[in-house]
Amino acid sequence: MDFQVVVLAGGFSKKLVPLVSKEVPKALLPVANRPVLSYVLDLLEQSNLKDLIVVVEGSDAAFRVGGWISAAYLDRLHVDVAPVPEDIGTAGALRAISHHLTARDILVVSGDLVSDVPPGAVAAAHRRHDAVVTATLCSNPVSGPADSGSSGAKDKTKKPGRNIIGLDPSRQFLLHIAAGAELEKDLRVQKSILRAVGEMELRADLMDAHLYAIKRSVLLEVLDQKETFQSIKKDVLPYLVRSQLVTGEANHLSGYSFSAHNNLIHPSAELGSKTTVGPHCLLGEGSQMGDKCSVKRSVIGRHCRIGSSVKIVNSVVMDHVTIGDGCSVQGSVVCSNVQLQERVTLKDCQVGASYVVTAGSEYRGESLAKKEK
Amino acid sequence: MQFDDKSRVEKAKKRAVVNQTEVRNRVELFRHLPQYEHGTQLPDLESKFFRNDPMHRAVYKVGLQYLAGDITGGNARCIAMLQAFSEAIRDYTTPAEKTLTRDLTAKIGSYVSFLIECRPLSISMGNAIRFLKNRIAKLPLTLSESEAKTSLCLDIDRFINEKIILADRVIVRHASTKIRDGDVLLTYGSSCVVEMLLSHALELGKKFHVVIVDSRPKLEGQSLLRRLVANGLNCTYTHLNAVSYIMHEVTRVFLGASSILSNGTVYSRVGTAAVAMVANAFSVPVLICCEAYKFHERVQLDSICFNELGDPQAVAKVSGRGDVNYLGSLGNKDNLQLLNLMYDATPSEYISMIVTDYGMIPPTSVPVIVREYCRDQLWI
Repeated sequence: MDFQVVVLAGGFSKKLVPLVSKEVPKALLPVANRPVLSYVLDLLEQSNLKDLIVVVEGSDAAFRVGGWISAAYLDRLHVDVAPVPEDIGTAGALRAISHHLTARDILVVSGDLVSDVPPGAVAAAHRRHDAVVTATLCSNPVSGPADSGSSGAKDKTKKPGRNIIGLDPSRQFLLHIAAGAELEKDLRVQKSILRAVGEMELRADLMDAHLYAIKRSVLLEVLDQKETFQSIKKDVLPYLVRSQLVTGEANHLSGYSFSAHNNLIHPSAELGSKTTVGPHCLLGEGSQMGDKCSVKRSVIGRHCRIGSSVKIVNSVVMDHVTIGDGCSVQGSVVCSNVQLQERVTLKDCQVGASYVVTAGSEYRGESLAKKEK
Repeated sequence: MQFDDKSRVEKAKKRAVVNQTEVRNRVELFRHLPQYEHGTQLPDLESKFFRNDPMHRAVYKVGLQYLAGDITGGNARCIAMLQAFSEAIRDYTTPAEKTLTRDLTAKIGSYVSFLIECRPLSISMGNAIRFLKNRIAKLPLTLSESEAKTSLCLDIDRFINEKIILADRVIVRHASTKIRDGDVLLTYGSSCVVEMLLSHALELGKKFHVVIVDSRPKLEGQSLLRRLVANGLNCTYTHLNAVSYIMHEVTRVFLGASSILSNGTVYSRVGTAAVAMVANAFSVPVLICCEAYKFHERVQLDSICFNELGDPQAVAKVSGRGDVNYLGSLGNKDNLQLLNLMYDATPSEYISMIVTDYGMIPPTSVPVIVREYCRDQLWI
């Protein structure tokens, strides 16, 4: 159907430092015990899109991602992994691979998108209206419980980036988009667009899901002319939306947010007596939990050893983790091979891979990582 | 195809591209017409977008637009379909061991089946497809593939230009002679020819008033009203229930048509027959503006044997009034069937004159035009 798919898988993101390491680039971080890139690749495979280009920043990361993809998707997908230099942004990444793009329209997907919106629907809407850009928007994900508010004051970057999005009355055409950083100043809206459409609905509760269908000729022209554009979400998309009059419209579909897992416990997981596992939890294979534990809204990876009287709430625990008795883990991310000794309390923390947290310690809002030698 | 014949329906379903689920509660009298669940068609077609189908992308796009209701109106649908076929022919290559004429005809046939699944064809589209198949069959064998393709694309462009665009201009020129100063004109729904006629008469400087009669569920008259008011015409807007009250002020009625059949019956948007009948009762002349390519040699005596069924839920809802939901709880009862007809047939005795690109003719002259000018479907 004349569509080419580009998956932007990032590289070693600095924002996720204790979680990413040399062995695990951002694209291979596990979400619900599967590397996050696998969700995107599975969705594309289901829609019969077998020829993909995956763009990774940094040749190290590209090597790892390429290795994992060829192992996991040997005959099912035909993937070209293209390494690009680090820190050039999503638009820069597209600029670097622009000579590979030949089809009429390009489907740009972010490598960390977990959704069940069929790419066929996005592509069909794009073609139906002959659009220049089609973007997918979804409602903002509901943030965690109120007791994380205290740490929120310390760390403002933890709040999800807010966008102001302007839609036309029929909720199909995108009239205005402004990403988080510009929100402090006033809002500027194109008068010509407002005059042409008549009515615009401004919403602050929508988030850009980073699944775009863009006409190739327009994309290459914009990337050529505007050398300074670094990010599709912050530069290219608002530029295209602003420069539209009635012709060349963009489109939006209301997407779906993260699909909730309703309590999937792997059959080989062992639970002790009086252990409760709440809804929206995931327990990987081979994990063992002690007595009187309580797991709520969390994901636990494979082969974990969890002691007794442990409380895990709203957290992600990856593979091969040992948690001692009496620990309490709330709102935290614990990477693989970590050892938490007895009576450790973690609140809103991130623990990097292979770290050992000493017994009885209490941490709030910190990121603990093993010192790189 | 008659849809109350179960074996043929099953066979057609197996070959279908679009997955349609039939509505459970159907009106007995209209069982021979297709009726599908409206909500599931578009998402199903969209999710199949990247399937390995031999469907050309332009044809798929037009199918999606029909299904979603983006393109309405006989002329617009016909032009979109012909342009999609033109693009498909340009991208076409003859496979080995096959002749261009036979293979291309088969391919066009498969595209047409797909478009029928998205939305049943209008009669004007059927005529256009017959013309195209005829041109393909008449291609001389000595032509090379690229010459044949260019010749076909030129024929399609000529058809669109002569039979639709120029025909509309001729009709507008003829019909505007029938509008005098001080007239009150009535029109129903939204016909593109009638709209062009009213704008042209305004440009010529005539002074007249327009009454637009509209009806649920489509409310097509509202878009026409907006455009005419933006042009500066004096308009009155009312619904079909008030047509007998407003008719005593009206001097002439201009209507559009989806097709005109051989016995002079006008096949047009549902409600046209009512307007024409009321006009006849008040002795107001009714003029139909219709291009000649929409004429058909078929004869139809009622609106039942051939029609199109729209979404039945659209009848139950009132647009703009979410609080009006009287039928909400009764939706799934077995003894309530909702019927949403799209077309109706106006008998020829209610029509005063038909304005076509061959001139202004009485309804009894339609078979003459079909016989003389549509010989061998060449439409020359």
